[in-house]
Amino acid sequence: MNASASAHLSWIDGASGAAETQFFAEGMRCANCARSIQRAVGALPGVRHVDVNLATSRVSVGWTPGSQTLERVLDSVAALGFRPVPMLGDAAAAARGAERRTALKRIGLAGLGMMQIAMYTVGLYAGAFTGIDPGLARLLRVTAMLITVPVLLYSGAPFLRGAWSDLRRRSLGMDVPVAAALLLAFAASVYNTLRDAGQVYFDSVTMFIFFLLIGRYVEAAMRRGSLDASEALARSLPAQVTRLKSDGGSERVALAAVRSGDRLLVASGAVVPVDGELEDASAVLDESLLSGESTAVSRVAGERLLGGSVNVGTPLRLRATTNAGSSALASMVALMERAQSERPRVSLAADRAAAWFVGAILVLSLAVAGLWLWLDPSRAFEATLAVLVVTCPCALSLATPAAVAAATARLARHGILITRPNALERLAQIDTVILDKTGTLTTSQPCLGSVRAVEELGAARATAVAAALERHSAHPLAAAFAAVDAAGVPAPAEVREVAGQGIEGRIDGCRWRLGRREFAGGGPLPAGLPQDPAEWLWLGCEDRLQAAFEIHDSLRREAAAAVGALRAQGLDLRIASGDRPGAVAAVARELDIADPRGRQTPADKIALVRALQAEGHRVLMLGDGVNDGPVLAAADVSCAMGQGAAVAHAAADMLLLGDSLDGVARAVATARRSLGLIRGNLRWALGYNLCAVPAAALGWVPPWAAAIGMSMSSLYVVWRAQRFAREAA
Amino acid sequence: MSIALLLIPLSLVLLVVAVAAFFWAVDNKQFDDLENAGRQILEDTDEPGPPPPAER
Repeated sequence: MNASASAHLSWIDGASGAAETQFFAEGMRCANCARSIQRAVGALPGVRHVDVNLATSRVSVGWTPGSQTLERVLDSVAALGFRPVPMLGDAAAAARGAERRTALKRIGLAGLGMMQIAMYTVGLYAGAFTGIDPGLARLLRVTAMLITVPVLLYSGAPFLRGAWSDLRRRSLGMDVPVAAALLLAFAASVYNTLRDAGQVYFDSVTMFIFFLLIGRYVEAAMRRGSLDASEALARSLPAQVTRLKSDGGSERVALAAVRSGDRLLVASGAVVPVDGELEDASAVLDESLLSGESTAVSRVAGERLLGGSVNVGTPLRLRATTNAGSSALASMVALMERAQSERPRVSLAADRAAAWFVGAILVLSLAVAGLWLWLDPSRAFEATLAVLVVTCPCALSLATPAAVAAATARLARHGILITRPNALERLAQIDTVILDKTGTLTTSQPCLGSVRAVEELGAARATAVAAALERHSAHPLAAAFAAVDAAGVPAPAEVREVAGQGIEGRIDGCRWRLGRREFAGGGPLPAGLPQDPAEWLWLGCEDRLQAAFEIHDSLRREAAAAVGALRAQGLDLRIASGDRPGAVAAVARELDIADPRGRQTPADKIALVRALQAEGHRVLMLGDGVNDGPVLAAADVSCAMGQGAAVAHAAADMLLLGDSLDGVARAVATARRSLGLIRGNLRWALGYNLCAVPAAALGWVPPWAAAIGMSMSSLYVVWRAQRFAREAA
Repeated sequence: MSIALLLIPLSLVLLVVAVAAFFWAVDNKQFDDLENAGRQILEDTDEPGPPPPAER
C-alpha cells in the first residue's frame, strides 16, 4: 500500500528544496491520535514539520529529501495503527467508500443485534415478575450472549482497537473509557450468565455500541462531507473531459492527461476543467465557485475561462492554457489544503485539556466504584458504568476544529479564501483596517475627472475632441473617454499613436495631439490650465496647449457600501496609498475616511502598521496582494484582492476572490461569530459534562441513557458547527 | 412453553439472515450514493455504453 501511496503523494517543492506530502490518516478519531502522529513523525530525522488536522484527518509532512524517505514517514504512521491514504484521485475516493461501507455494516449488525436482544430482555423482565421457567431464562440469557459476542467484536472493534492503540502509546484517548465500560459490562454479564444469577447487561452493551457508532458515522459524514470545502472544490472537477482531435473527432481522456494547448469541449452544464481561452464567439459562465459571485458572466472569443466555472450556456470549445494541475482552481485547492492541514492554536489547547479530562474520568470512576461498594454494592456496578459512558471528552476536542472548518467552508462559498489557520482567530480581534487605494478601493479602470480648457475651446468641445481621438487608441487611459459622446466631432484623419507620448489626428483641419504635456504642445501655459503637468492629460492643437483632463481611477461600485459595513462593525479605517496625495484625498473624502496618507512607500506603510500596533491596535491590511507583500506580512491579518491564478502568488492570510470588496465585512463578521461559536461549543461541552458526571456518579443515570447522552452531546457540537456552515449569511 | 425452545433459536437464524442480507446490500454499494441515482435519469448525457459483445 505504501508503494502505491507514495506514487500519488510526494512532490518536491522546488523553491526551498524540501519535500512535502499530504495524506489522510484513516482511523484518526480523537485529539490524542492527532498528537501521537505529530509526535511520532516529528521525531523522525529530517522531518521539518508535521501538521495533523483532526477535523479533516489530514496529515501534512515536510522533510528534507535525502535524510528521510516518504516510505519511512508512512510506515511510522502505519505503525501507530493508522492507515495512510493518498488524498488525490480515485484511490482516496475508493478508500473513503470502503471505510464508509464498513461503518455501515458495523451499524447494521449492532442495530439488528440490539433489537433482537431487547426482545429477549423484555422476556426476562416480564419473567422476573410473573415467574419464568429457569431453563427458559437461561436460554434467553445465553442467546443474548451469543448475539452480543459478534456485536462486540465486529461492531465494537473500532472502540476496542482505538483503546488498545491508545494504551500502547501510553496516552489516554476517548476510546479508553468507552472500551473499559464495554468490556466491564460484557464480562460481568457473561459471569452472571454462567453462574445463572444476577443482572445481565447485554442490552446495554449492544445499545451503547449502536448509539456510539451512529454518532461517529454522522460526525464523520459531516466532517468529510460539507465541512471540507477544498474537497468540494476539487470534487467539482470532472474525472474525464472531452478532447477535440485535430481531425475533427473527439475523445474522452482523463483530466490529468490534459496539457496546455489541448482543445476541449465543455458540455452545457458541465464544469470547465482547466483554465483556457474561449474559442467560440461567446459563452455564459457561472464562476460562483471561484469568486462567490452568483450572477453568470459572459465571455467572448479569446477571453480567459477559469477552471472550476460552470458552463451555463450552450456547449463551448476552449483551448487549454494550463495543465490540469496548475489551473486557478488547483492552486486554490492547494492553498486551502495548506490552511486545513495546519492546526489553529485554539484547538491545540482544547486537545491537551481533553487528554487530562479522560484521565480525570478514569480516576473519578474508580472513586465512584469504591464509594458505592462501601455504601450499596448492588448499585456500584451500574453507577461506575454510567460515569465511564456518560462523559464526553470528544465534545471538548471537537468543538474548535468543527467551528473553524465550518467558518472556512462558509467563507469559501462566498469567495473568501482563508489560507492560514490562525487567520480566523486573529481576524475576529482586529479593530483597525488599513486600506490600499489603487486596485483595492478603486478599480484599475480609469475615469475622467475635472476638465480645464482655454475659453475659446470650452470644456465640452475639448472633451469631445479628446474622445474622438481616443476612439482610435488602444492605450488603457482611452477607456476614461469611452462614455463620452463624440458625435459632434468628425472622425479624425491621419491618426497616429506615439508610444509613451500620446495620440495625434487631424480634425477640422487642425492637428490635435493628446497625451503628455511636452507632446501635446510647447510654449507658455495658457490661462485657466493647471500648473502641475504630471497629473493631467493634455490636449493641444498645432503645438498650442488647449485643455487638460484629470484622469483618476474610478472608485469601486461597492466601495462605499463595503466601507460603511466595516465602519458599522466598529472598525477604525485608514487609507495608505502610494498614489499622489490629491487622488488619495479625493477617494478618502468620498468615503469619509479621515487622515488619508498619499505617496506612501512600502516602508512608510509598514511604519504605519507598526505604529498602530504599538498603540495596541490589531490591524487588518487590505491590499491588492501583488506589490504589498511586505506590508501584508507586517499586519496582524492581511487580505488580498485576487482573481484567478494570481491568488497562488499572493502572500496574504486571506484572499477575496470575487474582485469585490463586499467580502471583507462578511469575513470579519464570520470570524467574530466563529470565535463565538467556539466559545459556545466549549461552554456547552463543559456544562454537559458538569451536569452529567455528578448525576451518573449518584447512580441516577442508567447505562443506556448514558450511552444516548454521550453520543448526542458530541453530535450536538458538530451539528452546531454544521448549522453555522450552512446558514445563508 | 416448550415451543419457545424452538422459536428462540429460530429468531437467531432470522437475525443471521437479516444481517447477511444487509451486508450483501452494503457490499454491493447499494448505499454508496443515495442521491445521484434518482437524478441520473433526468440527466441528458448520451455517453456511449460499453460496446456490445462481438458477434460470433
